[in-house]
Amino acid sequence: MTTSAAFKRSFDSIPRIFALTAEAFARDGIDPRLLHTVDLALEELFTNMVKYSTTTDAAVQVEIVAIEDGVEVTLTDYDVEPFDVTQAPDVDITLPIEQRRPGGLGLHLIRRLLDSIEYDYSKEKRRSRITFRKTQSGSPASRRVANKGEENACD
Amino acid sequence: MLAIDFVDGGGVTIAGRLDAAEAPRAQTFFDRLEGTVTLDCSRLEYISSAGLGVLLKTQKRLLASGGKIRLTGVSSHLNDILGYSGFDRIFEVERAR
Repeated sequence: MTTSAAFKRSFDSIPRIFALTAEAFARDGIDPRLLHTVDLALEELFTNMVKYSTTTDAAVQVEIVAIEDGVEVTLTDYDVEPFDVTQAPDVDITLPIEQRRPGGLGLHLIRRLLDSIEYDYSKEKRRSRITFRKTQSGSPASRRVANKGEENACD
Repeated sequence: MLAIDFVDGGGVTIAGRLDAAEAPRAQTFFDRLEGTVTLDCSRLEYISSAGLGVLLKTQKRLLASGGKIRLTGVSSHLNDILGYSGFDRIFEVERAR
């Protein structure tokens, strides 16, 4: 079963996103040990959309589907320029604290925690779509990142 | 929901979820800290990069004046997050028992 909702482009939407994941996990019997990682990925991807696509007021659509051993989540963002999150550079975690900056840490983290992340951009519809999977037995997406679609780009 | 409070002995306890919506309020609290502070994370359920940014900014400020934050009661999940982000190199971390 698919659980879905649209969220206003605001950090104030984050608690409602967490409520949606909790609802989907409870109803579909998804392993609760995956919940924090799924919430983290959703927050990082959603806040990225809010911060970097500022010329649209379109709501962000979130869909959550139970799969074998885990969950698949899709975020769809309309009327935006492409931004391929799978191509964002890793953070250099060996830098001394004076040189550390918080930027980019979210995407760096979720690539290590998720099984897979896919990015798709429709130039015709100006639509970004990110799909990620997390299973109890999966391996990190940092080893299995994929992208597809009509056009991909990274700022 | 996030709750941050001082505890006896000068430490700080944090409980709930430190996400992007709560990070500004957390930063306001952490901006008041001085010296070396033990932050009890045993009731911290969740942290995102926005929350890590609050810790990083505070650690930089405190180190500059000879202090620091020590993280205690760190759960397995939080420990993974700290490790993947390299924060285990810049914070003293004590795992939950």
